[in-house]
Amino acid sequence: MAELLTKFPRRRTVLLASLLAVGMTATACSAPGEDRSSTQKSDAAVKTELGTGPVTLEMYAETGFPLAKALADEFSKQHSNVTFNIREDQFTVIVENAPRVMASDNSPDIIRLPTMVDLVKDDLLKNLDPYFTAYGWDKFPASQLMQLRVGENTRGTGSLYGMGLGYSVTGVFYNKKLASQIGMTQPPATVAEFEELLAKAKTGGVQPIMQFNKNTAGINFPHQALQNQFGDPTQVADWIFQKPGATFDTPAALKATQTIQKWAQAGYFTKDANALDYAGMVGEFQKGNGLFMFNGDWESANLDKSMPGNVGFFLFPTESPGGKHVAMSAPNTFGVSAKAKNPDAAAYFLNWVHTNAKAREISVTVGGSSPGGPSDLPVPSAAPNTVLAETLKASQQLGAENGAVDFTANATGGIFAAAITPEMQKLIAGQQTPEGYVKAVQAEYQKELSR
Amino acid sequence: MNLSRREQLTGRVFLIALIVVTLLPFVSMLSAALQPRGTVPSGLEWPSDPQWGNFADAFTAANMGALLRSSLLIVAGVVPVSVLIATMAGFGLGQLRVPGGRLVFGLFLLGLTLPFEAVVTPLYYQMQDLGLLNTRWAIILPLIGLYMPFAVFWMRAHFTNVPVELSEAARVDGSSTWQLFWRVQVPLARPAIASLTILMFLWTWNQFLLAIVLVDDATKRTMAGALGAFQGQWGTDLVLLCAGSLLILTPTLIVFLIFQRQFIKALIQGSVKG
Amino acid sequence: MTSALGSAPTGRDDSRARPTPTRAHRFRWARAAGTGWLYVLPALVMYAVFVLRPLVLTLQYSLYDWNGIGVARWVGLDNYLTVFTDSDLLKIIGNAIVLIVFFSFIPVALGLLVASMVRRITTGAFGTVVRTILFMPQVIPLVAAGIAWSWLLSSNGLVNQALRAVGLGGVARAWLGDFDTALPAVGVIGAWVLLGLCTILLVTGMSKIDPALYEAARLDGAGPVREFLAVTLPSLRQEIGVCLTVTIIAALASFDIVYISTSGGPGLQTTVPGLEIYRLAFSQRQVGLASALAVVLMLLVLACVLPIQRLSRGEKP
Repeated sequence: MAELLTKFPRRRTVLLASLLAVGMTATACSAPGEDRSSTQKSDAAVKTELGTGPVTLEMYAETGFPLAKALADEFSKQHSNVTFNIREDQFTVIVENAPRVMASDNSPDIIRLPTMVDLVKDDLLKNLDPYFTAYGWDKFPASQLMQLRVGENTRGTGSLYGMGLGYSVTGVFYNKKLASQIGMTQPPATVAEFEELLAKAKTGGVQPIMQFNKNTAGINFPHQALQNQFGDPTQVADWIFQKPGATFDTPAALKATQTIQKWAQAGYFTKDANALDYAGMVGEFQKGNGLFMFNGDWESANLDKSMPGNVGFFLFPTESPGGKHVAMSAPNTFGVSAKAKNPDAAAYFLNWVHTNAKAREISVTVGGSSPGGPSDLPVPSAAPNTVLAETLKASQQLGAENGAVDFTANATGGIFAAAITPEMQKLIAGQQTPEGYVKAVQAEYQKELSR
Repeated sequence: MNLSRREQLTGRVFLIALIVVTLLPFVSMLSAALQPRGTVPSGLEWPSDPQWGNFADAFTAANMGALLRSSLLIVAGVVPVSVLIATMAGFGLGQLRVPGGRLVFGLFLLGLTLPFEAVVTPLYYQMQDLGLLNTRWAIILPLIGLYMPFAVFWMRAHFTNVPVELSEAARVDGSSTWQLFWRVQVPLARPAIASLTILMFLWTWNQFLLAIVLVDDATKRTMAGALGAFQGQWGTDLVLLCAGSLLILTPTLIVFLIFQRQFIKALIQGSVKG
Repeated sequence: MTSALGSAPTGRDDSRARPTPTRAHRFRWARAAGTGWLYVLPALVMYAVFVLRPLVLTLQYSLYDWNGIGVARWVGLDNYLTVFTDSDLLKIIGNAIVLIVFFSFIPVALGLLVASMVRRITTGAFGTVVRTILFMPQVIPLVAAGIAWSWLLSSNGLVNQALRAVGLGGVARAWLGDFDTALPAVGVIGAWVLLGLCTILLVTGMSKIDPALYEAARLDGAGPVREFLAVTLPSLRQEIGVCLTVTIIAALASFDIVYISTSGGPGLQTTVPGLEIYRLAFSQRQVGLASALAVVLMLLVLACVLPIQRLSRGEKP
């Protein structure tokens, strides 16, 4: 090409001119987006009957988490006119795809959501307030749905935009055999005790923590667990909910980051943590290649199956003995797309998940999480001596202590991908300082909020 | 000129080393694909009990039948049309030498080094406006346009070298331009057309970016796009991923092995990046 | 278009082939002009609608702040300012330039080495087998190459297995997840894909060199190195130009391999402009910034490729 271009130097201006001419006529000089309107009618009447006509619900769910499919199958069994068409991707892929998929005309009805604020801002998510009223979800404990509310650019208050397929709690899973090998007889009561166990494991030749940090930063789990303990958790919650003036640059976050750095330097994480993905982590833990794993109760049922009797769970310990437990706990959020073709059926399904006895049982046995829903419905019980029973108990304990906070990774649409993940990868590889880490995360946060 | 035995030998050793390096990734994938599901295989070890059934699992998981059909449909939509209109344009620019042809050709050349990333965003909104997102047309139509710079360049280069006297002779016989094109020029251009067809097939089959941006349903994508979706879903199940990847790249390899002589010729001439 | 150039069936100089316009010719042209345009039109229309129009739109978007849904806000050159001042984006562009070393220089250099070794033994059955195998990476989707190499370079992969086997377990690591090695590791994948193509192109080029040139060089007492510098290299100028052009475009516009093997990590260590454009436009919904980056990428490709084209043709008759 080049040789031909250079051959006609005089032609080049002509070319550019004609190219521009083509372009002008093509675009007619209007600003992009001017001819697109995206007004959403949130006050339209909603139906709470499913009807009997055939309905196909398009669902976009997460690979490796069989709960959504199990619930869908049961729903179809009970309502034969409803079929599900389920597309699955890894969570990172959903995060990347969600805005584009939901903006398209083939938007799914029900979708596993990463973060909601941006999607709400872009009018991509259906406002569920009418369903809230119609189905009487006010009988649910208000705190259950709080994280799913989005108001004027903040979260935690405002209209409802999602529901949980189970409400999860996170903490630390441990390998019982390895634990007794290093002399751990009961879960640690303080952060200091936890660190002692880490050191003991390391000297005893046991990999202390099996944690993934590829694609999405799994080490943000222990990081936030520490951050929750080192300061006032409402500070963390305010930051996540984008309350004005909230900052990540706090002594608690810094101390947590320093601790993570210390752990990384001490070799408490695996050497290839930055190349270990979620499934790899779970696989290695199941094989007995790590003492602790920071994870959530969604993995309980699976762990009971793969290492029966050999796995335990505890909420991350407090800084001083007898303190209040704080843990990341969040709904496994599913939303209804603004462009959903069957929003009423989708909402019916979400209500059914919370209230139908069989569905609640599936939430526990397959999903491993508390099913949520009205407080007067019983929580199905799990088999004794399983880690599932332990996580359910922890979930109730956390509820009683009112210690649930959302994930920092959910603060804004891009915070996880654009700041936490890369900066955490740098931190544990010794390429970032703790001070630099908190500043970088806060900088990205401000950049996104100012947009 | 005679090469010394030593030279011959070093040459061969080098080539064999190169071949081994080229083939290793495939062999390593095969060894992983044959391990029992749910295990974490290591680099290269022949399994004691090869699990050929993994391929059957991957075939089902990937929905191979639908993928093959989709890729073939897209190729059928892109390649014949591209080759035809590029040949016509090459004929018009190279033989008929239409007035203003240089300007038009210059316009085409502008697109010759264009990275697809540079236009994929507007293409997305254009397809959305046309209501074609998530249909195969969303891949087919832009690809035809995007191939034009190279295809026209290629065909024009051929037609420029065909002596004008040939057309003269045909005209004296009283043929119309269309007859001249079909009966005289196209048969003569067959080698150039064949190479172009092979290149277009390969590029279409392996097109990834447009597929993942414009089409969400893996069963409406190209092979490469479908492989991307397969990785997105099963990326954490290494055994299945390797089995599926091998399955998905097999059709290309088979076509390549059948037409390898023509492929290599086309690739050398076209100096391709896939 | 990421393919290209130069070695298309001759016809580089159409002015030579053109006969002097006689009256008869003029008459013919005039008559053919109208019909001639009909032949060019379909291709031109497809090109205009699906390439030129989007291209102009990219230019237009790049001047706006737009989330892809609402109404855009005019920001002039602000997006370009961001591209040239944001340290992350500069790093991303830098990554693409580093990849040129692996995608272009290594395959061409290694290709030259191999090609001069095997100058004349690529004929016969052995030659066919060699060519077929070396071309396989060119034929499979880049996505497959990415998957295969991610596995090869992973913690349990073949590379580490081999290192451990020869007692170098100490350097074994997750190559694509390590800050120091991720970008070179991605580069190695690209080199693997492009090495075969470059080698074959160069071998083909060498086989066209007049053996008399070598004889003359030998008579002058030139050793293999002098011979290579004095005869082989100058004669291959055009082929090397083609190799560099194709591979540099592949490096700068890389997307598939990175998307599959590292998705840009760890940190931003392997993020390249193509991936960032995709992310910005479709995940972060900053269509304006994505478009500005796309324009910069386009210009970068031209800035690298045009001089090479000029050099590789320069003194040729």
